[in-house]
Amino acid sequence: MSSSPSEVTLSLDELATSVATATGGVVTMTFGTAKVKVSPEAWVSALTTARDDFGLVFFSWLSAVDWTNEVQVGDPLVEPVEERYELIAAVSDLTAGNILLFTTDLPKAGPRIASLVGVYAGANWHEREAHEMFGIDFIGHPNLIKLYLPDGFEGYPLQKSYPLLTREVKPWPGTVDVEGMPGQMGESSDEPSEENPEA
Amino acid sequence: MVLEQDLVRHLVEASVTVELATPDMTLNIGPQHPSTHGVLRLVAKVDGERTTDVQPVIGYMHRGYEKISEVRTYPQITALINRIDWVSGYANEIPFIVAAERLMELEVPERAQYIRLILTEMARISSHLVFMASYPLELGAATPLFFALRDRERVLDLLESVTGGRFHPNFNRIGGVKPALGSGSATRKMIQDLPKTFLPETRDAMDKVLATCDEIEDLVAGNEIILARTRGIGVIPPDVAAAYGLSGPNMRASGVQFDLRKVSDYLPYDKFSFDIPIGTAGDCWDRWYVRLAEIRQSARIIQQAVDGIPAGPLQAKVPKIIKVPKGETYVRAENPKGEMGYYLVSDGGQGPYRLKIRSASFSNISILPWILEGTLIPDIIAIMGSLDFVLGDVDR
Repeated sequence: MSSSPSEVTLSLDELATSVATATGGVVTMTFGTAKVKVSPEAWVSALTTARDDFGLVFFSWLSAVDWTNEVQVGDPLVEPVEERYELIAAVSDLTAGNILLFTTDLPKAGPRIASLVGVYAGANWHEREAHEMFGIDFIGHPNLIKLYLPDGFEGYPLQKSYPLLTREVKPWPGTVDVEGMPGQMGESSDEPSEENPEA
Repeated sequence: MVLEQDLVRHLVEASVTVELATPDMTLNIGPQHPSTHGVLRLVAKVDGERTTDVQPVIGYMHRGYEKISEVRTYPQITALINRIDWVSGYANEIPFIVAAERLMELEVPERAQYIRLILTEMARISSHLVFMASYPLELGAATPLFFALRDRERVLDLLESVTGGRFHPNFNRIGGVKPALGSGSATRKMIQDLPKTFLPETRDAMDKVLATCDEIEDLVAGNEIILARTRGIGVIPPDVAAAYGLSGPNMRASGVQFDLRKVSDYLPYDKFSFDIPIGTAGDCWDRWYVRLAEIRQSARIIQQAVDGIPAGPLQAKVPKIIKVPKGETYVRAENPKGEMGYYLVSDGGQGPYRLKIRSASFSNISILPWILEGTLIPDIIAIMGSLDFVLGDVDR
């Protein structure tokens, strides 16, 4: 199946640049990964263009990154960022293996965007996941219910403000975990163990 | 008398206009059904023997790896991601490790890359052999299981001799592979290379795997019952497969000649010659046959790699405490189940700021509502089995 209208195979650079021109997006290339940032209003039309005019027919994944300065889990960002959700949809062709990551910024308060289900049927489950994990509303989604989480679940686990409950119960690294064995108290820890003398 | 005639006429008319109510029955399949490869629940609405609507319910095994990854260090995460698709645990590590190496701009020694490639293809063979064992079993044929699992054991023994683990090797390190444990439990010395007998034993084992492929093909491909249950069943056209993000053998069975091993450079596949087997009809039979053909191709790749493996170190120079520089990248690999990838966002720390895990089975079974609508109930099992998913890979 070759749905690319042009027979010439574009490199990832060239593809990203021409897709960005056609969709009004901005390209960034980092470590071999091409991102095309579009406005939330152009989200559906940009991906429709990518699919129809550039042969990016394969829907790989959709998810989000919670860019925030105050985190409950993990290390906070070194440099402050503009607080937002970065929504990402990865689509690929099925010939040259080029994959483009479309991104758009959504506000932290009430993130809403049009659903991609009409363009790529596979977006259905990915959007449900992003909805329950980040609280993003996908307008026009046929069945925006929880995917993994139980029905009554409250909160959005992949938001950086959501605490990791096991860490609340037992801080990391768990001091209980490294308690010495009886008879080993006070011994120096860099003495080689019997079991593995060369370790 | 007139009244009675009226009544009769009325009843006759009524029988024409009022249909007997036949409400659809809701049938629960799973979450503990043997054909679900884990815990998947299907809520099927059935009208007689045909389904009218099937909704999969997933999440019974959701372990929240994306969240846990945010509080773990990079070396710790490889231990976690082995458990995503546990039938081919080794292959899960590759795209994650490559993503971290890409951000660190590390050059991995060639020998380590060859070892990764050999073990990845072994993981593919063992994963596909599980399919060769389980799929006919789900259709009522028990014998292929014994052939397939016998050879899977050979492959797993080899994997174990290098990594020390059968299912969760946790063998890759950023910058290379772990120095292998020497065989011989008395000394348990750490040696810096593959076990001495590994390469010749691998060559032998691959010959046996190739012979088993012929045996399985004789056994299954000539079986009329299997053919009747799989030919023309569960047809997925290529455009539908692409829109749902079906990847790997499931997509290639629909006739799409696309394999990430041919178009990306996460491992040195360009040094070997191998074919991409594709199907024509996109039915259950093609999905079975493509996987069988892929085992043969993987054995072919391994034999070439064993012959051409260069000498050299197994590890690039890396700092003792791994910190991955700030950056974002998406690396995907052709795993046995399909495209597996990691979108890694690092802020320069010891663990990722965000790790999105793209697993193959998740997208592969998102097509179930589409493909199971209007099928016969027995075909649900045939179609589900042919997609070869693992619930750990769906739920992450």
